[in-house]
Amino acid sequence: MKGSLRFRLAVSVVAVVAAALFALSLVLHALFARALVRQFDARLLGDAVAIAGMAEEDAHAPEFEAESLPEFERRVRPAYFEAWLADGRVLARSPSLNGADLALSAPDAGADVVLPDGRAGRVVHVRQPLRIEDEPTPRVSKQLVTVAVARGTEEVADTLASVRLWMLALALLTLLGASAAAIVAVSLGLRSTRALAAEIAELDATRLDRALETRGLPDEIVPVVAKINELLARVRESLAREKRFTADVSHELRTPLAALRTTLDVTASRERSPAEYRAAIDQVNVVAQQMQALCENLLSLARLDAGPVAVRPTEVALRALVQSCWGLYEGRARARGLAFENQLDTDACMATDPDQLRVVVSNLLSNATAYTAPGGTIRVRGTADRFEVHDSGPPIPPEILPHIFERFFRGDAMRSDGIHCGIGLALVRGVADVLGLRVTAENTNDGGVAFTVSLR
Amino acid sequence: MRLLVVEDYEPLARSLVQGLREAAYAVDVTGDGAAALELARANAYDALVLDLMVPKVDGLSILRQVRASGSSAGVLIITARDQVPDRVGALDLGADDYLIKPFAFEELLARLRAVIRRRYGAAENLVRIGDLELDGAARTVRRAGRAIALSAREFALLEYLALRRGQIVTRTEIWEHVYDFAAEPSSNVVDVYVGYLRRKLGDGEGGAARLIQTHRGLGYALDAPGAA
Repeated sequence: MKGSLRFRLAVSVVAVVAAALFALSLVLHALFARALVRQFDARLLGDAVAIAGMAEEDAHAPEFEAESLPEFERRVRPAYFEAWLADGRVLARSPSLNGADLALSAPDAGADVVLPDGRAGRVVHVRQPLRIEDEPTPRVSKQLVTVAVARGTEEVADTLASVRLWMLALALLTLLGASAAAIVAVSLGLRSTRALAAEIAELDATRLDRALETRGLPDEIVPVVAKINELLARVRESLAREKRFTADVSHELRTPLAALRTTLDVTASRERSPAEYRAAIDQVNVVAQQMQALCENLLSLARLDAGPVAVRPTEVALRALVQSCWGLYEGRARARGLAFENQLDTDACMATDPDQLRVVVSNLLSNATAYTAPGGTIRVRGTADRFEVHDSGPPIPPEILPHIFERFFRGDAMRSDGIHCGIGLALVRGVADVLGLRVTAENTNDGGVAFTVSLR
Repeated sequence: MRLLVVEDYEPLARSLVQGLREAAYAVDVTGDGAAALELARANAYDALVLDLMVPKVDGLSILRQVRASGSSAGVLIITARDQVPDRVGALDLGADDYLIKPFAFEELLARLRAVIRRRYGAAENLVRIGDLELDGAARTVRRAGRAIALSAREFALLEYLALRRGQIVTRTEIWEHVYDFAAEPSSNVVDVYVGYLRRKLGDGEGGAARLIQTHRGLGYALDAPGAA
């Protein structure tokens, strides 16, 4: 859960929303506080102007006609004022000051101050000319009076505190709402990926026959799914190939096994003469050798499939190699009345891996031994970069000629001895590819078949 | 009983032929689908032992054409193809049985007996005719409780007559069902073998009833006395 995309997205959305809310609250709070203080200062200023109006010049002597100002007289949380003349004499001060002085702020602007009773407050002051009484038209004196008014800011602080509380509550609510919205949105957005995950979870070796659905997926995921589909197709293909291979292998091994069992069953069914036993043993031997060759070829094919094959090139004397390979097929060729001619030069040398080349040559000779019509001739001839295994035919039917190097291709028609079909030549081509050699097969003008091995 | 073995892997074909001949079958063999079709058309085989993957004409096509020509020969498929669809396909085309390589030769014999038995409408291997008892599975013959040793050819002759009990069987039919191409053709070889068989069975001698009747100009019939 912690690592899920849904969780991560939701957490980051919530974190961003929380940070934004916090910053917004700070700004709002600051703006609100400033507005409140201004309003407060304006009130103080009003008070100061009113109090300054109480000072007048009477017969050139300034005097202060104090009216009853209960706010400035009470003992609990009182307000304060003090009035000075221009020469610094105190004209009047509120009873709450008890003879102490008020600090001055800049004119027309408020300042934070610690009130005489220790409370936090604001102070403003005004400076204006004294009023002159007893005139038909009011005049102003040349003397200036300065009035400072201070008041405790408890109200402002209280208001701000409740504002903060409201803002906190609102922020929390918003955050909750945003989180829920984020989780829902992310879940909805990722629903297609969950469907995809379920689809992928259902995949196993037996259910590779369909591709993953890309419709309705977010654009970001489509290439990933397309890639997965591509890989699936490849896995499918290789599984099918493997299945076919296994079926073919089992087929190729079952027939000689049937021969072994039948020969042994029939031979053991009664007492026999030594000559009959001899014949049975010879037959079992032949079959066993064919099976061994088949197994070796299958193993070589599997190794070719498994990955890079080690190639250790040296100078290989072709004639000697062909001769030693022929040893394996001499007996069978003689039984079928086939002649063999090794026409290669003694000094013809090819730079290649002798063991791998042996696989190529052996299988070509085996093929020729199996398929050449009785009484025919197998010839190996050519030069150091190009030699051929030529037999006297019959030719390969043109329709199957392009397929004879395919794995488990069964060249029906005359070229079948019932075993190792489609393995030997597939192996020849595979090994030749590894060695960088070209192997081709063609029907020759004399009615025979030539398999040509040449340097690329 | 005469069989055609169609198998292109020579060592297997050779052993099959040897074992089947030793089991008193007349056996022809080919490794080539086209030749198999020719042989099946020309001869009245009791059963075909058919490999599905043979060159030129594959086994299923042979089966189809044999059935299309109206032949009722038993067909036993032997093949390395072990998939269910292969088996179903072959059986649906008219094969009587299906054996997957490799197999025990004994099983092949048993299935072949069953296939041929069905063809002649017999339910079991043991045939009783009068005091004669013939066991097709054990390949033993008893007359009045006494075991009689027969050669493979003699047994095959008796078995064929027994499977067609009560019917007159011509010399040609006997020739076709008891002898294969390996046998030397001669005009009276059937009569000679019937003679051997009668002697070994003690047929019509020393108080024993005569089971093998000669129908002059027609052939022979095997049945209990008085049954006809």
